[in-house]
Amino acid sequence: MYRDISVNLVDVSKKIGTRYLFTGINLVINAGQCLAITGPNGSGKSTLLKIIAGLNQPTTGAIQIISNNKQLDAEERRGSLGLISPEIILYADLTGYENILFFTRLCGIECNQQMIEEYCRRVGLANDKEQLVRTYSTGMRQRLKFALMLAIQPGLWLLDEPSSNLDADGKKLIAQMIGRGLEQNATIIIATNEPWEAEHADYKIELV
Amino acid sequence: MPITRLSLFNRIWAIMMKDGICEFRTRYAVSALLMFALISLASISMAIGAARLPEDLTAALLWILLFFCAMAGLSRVFVQEQESGTILALQIYGSGQAVLFGKLLFNTFMLLTLTVLIIPLFIVFLNIEIYHWSIFLLVLILGDIGIAAASTVTAAMVAKTQGKHALFTVMTFPILLPQFLSSISTTAKILMNVKPDVSDIMFMAAYNVVLMIASSILFDYLWYD
Amino acid sequence: MRIVLSLWIMSVIYAVLYIVPPAEGLGNLVRIAFFHIPVAWVSVLAFLLSAGWSVQYLRTRDIQYDWKSSAAASLGLLFCLLATISGAIFAKLTWGAYWNWDPRQTSIFILLLIYGAYLVLRSSIQEEKDRAKVSAVYALLSFLTVPFLVFIIPRFYFSLHPEPVINSAGKLEMDMIMIYVLLAAVGACTALFWQCFSYMVQNKQKSF
Repeated sequence: MYRDISVNLVDVSKKIGTRYLFTGINLVINAGQCLAITGPNGSGKSTLLKIIAGLNQPTTGAIQIISNNKQLDAEERRGSLGLISPEIILYADLTGYENILFFTRLCGIECNQQMIEEYCRRVGLANDKEQLVRTYSTGMRQRLKFALMLAIQPGLWLLDEPSSNLDADGKKLIAQMIGRGLEQNATIIIATNEPWEAEHADYKIELV
Repeated sequence: MPITRLSLFNRIWAIMMKDGICEFRTRYAVSALLMFALISLASISMAIGAARLPEDLTAALLWILLFFCAMAGLSRVFVQEQESGTILALQIYGSGQAVLFGKLLFNTFMLLTLTVLIIPLFIVFLNIEIYHWSIFLLVLILGDIGIAAASTVTAAMVAKTQGKHALFTVMTFPILLPQFLSSISTTAKILMNVKPDVSDIMFMAAYNVVLMIASSILFDYLWYD
Repeated sequence: MRIVLSLWIMSVIYAVLYIVPPAEGLGNLVRIAFFHIPVAWVSVLAFLLSAGWSVQYLRTRDIQYDWKSSAAASLGLLFCLLATISGAIFAKLTWGAYWNWDPRQTSIFILLLIYGAYLVLRSSIQEEKDRAKVSAVYALLSFLTVPFLVFIIPRFYFSLHPEPVINSAGKLEMDMIMIYVLLAAVGACTALFWQCFSYMVQNKQKSF
């Protein structure tokens, strides 16, 4: 089971330049629920995800990440949320295995070799885990990010276009992963334009 | 859940090892720094020929050389993360203190390695005599830690700016100045066969400690948006 | 307010030119000091204020404090330049050289370097919040070096600079008229600084 995490958006808005991307978003998502954010390119899907991840500040409003009735501060959010996004880039000079080892340690989690091998196998990277990420295709890199998500086991998953660059097999894989994550109480927020990804969602936000 | 929480030290170590492995595989910074140091040293030596420099000038040259080598390579710890885009992942998963001290440790290690390689060349090229070896090494270590501490935190600042490299030197110099001046004077004393005072060493150590505490407090503001 | 200030400044200038007696040993050159000391004082004051507002900014994240910090630093640079130039001229006329790395000259030069680095840093970051955050951290970090410099610089360079107005014995070694005029000049200069400062901050607020 994943750690209980709920997300509370209070009157969140973001202005870039002179234009408001979105205004007045109010929402509560509880553990085990899924939110889908849809909207055309440039409508601010990725920005909203980054704001929830704490990588970007909203112009007004606040984001509360709550675990066991306690609001997490910036330090405590490390390791309790994970982001998969085209903007996340893993270390090209490390192997897939080393990347997972490094990031789990960074979150303070000790993973042994069998565990990391198991995560790589589940995303279909069993044979490539000892190769440098430099040599990976974009689809393989996307799979590695999911392996990392499995290893860190954050209670809150932020997924930005999770199936981009993946083949049919990979898409099926992440659909399974999202389904299993929700069963195990993870809170999932997906920014997507793929109708089938939004099917998991309990709530939907459409940005314009 | 398979989670055993690792201590801060383990996380710091993980970052240092990661940087170390990446550096070992590409050898970009080490070789650039070493060549930079070699060229600067050779140009000084060629320019002065067989003439012997006064001790205070030699000491100043040594620290200027180390400072500019540091400026050529130490910003890489954050600039590289920014340029390759990996800083985002580091920001999501890494806590500020672990990142700062991991990078600081790596920079210190790089600079010490460089110093170990430069010092013999320096002695050979400039024909100098070191009288108090143990104190000399202590001064070098303290000075290197100071340079690394000042440049790690400024590197984090310049990572998001334009014209990173020039700005890096401009910003680091005023912060480093107290340490820089006292390193030069202490080294000059050693070269003149005068034993430096304990207060000189204490000053350098105190500066390092204060700088690290301040970086540690201020870095969280930089790291968490 | 402006009329009062200009009258005040004019009367100080009049007093400096016509009322202050030529000093023993320095002659009429002493009149430069009535310009030099106030601008040097303001350049240090601006540095302190800028650091103070940086702390405020980091604590509250209110962008107004960033404007204040930046306005104080820009004016500080200007006053610091004036102090350096007037000091160099004074040095040439009394000690025979424009520049000789006197401790005071070294200190003001370092202040100039810090101001310069701070403003270059500001100009090279586009995003407003990033700029405010990074420059506040830099202002504080450079402020930290001040006590060390106060300790280290006098050990390096021999000083020809006159003792401060109130010297270590706590005795005033100046003519009473001179002291009054000097205080008036310092007051005028500080008021001028504050006037320019408020103007700059108000301009920012209007354009916001």
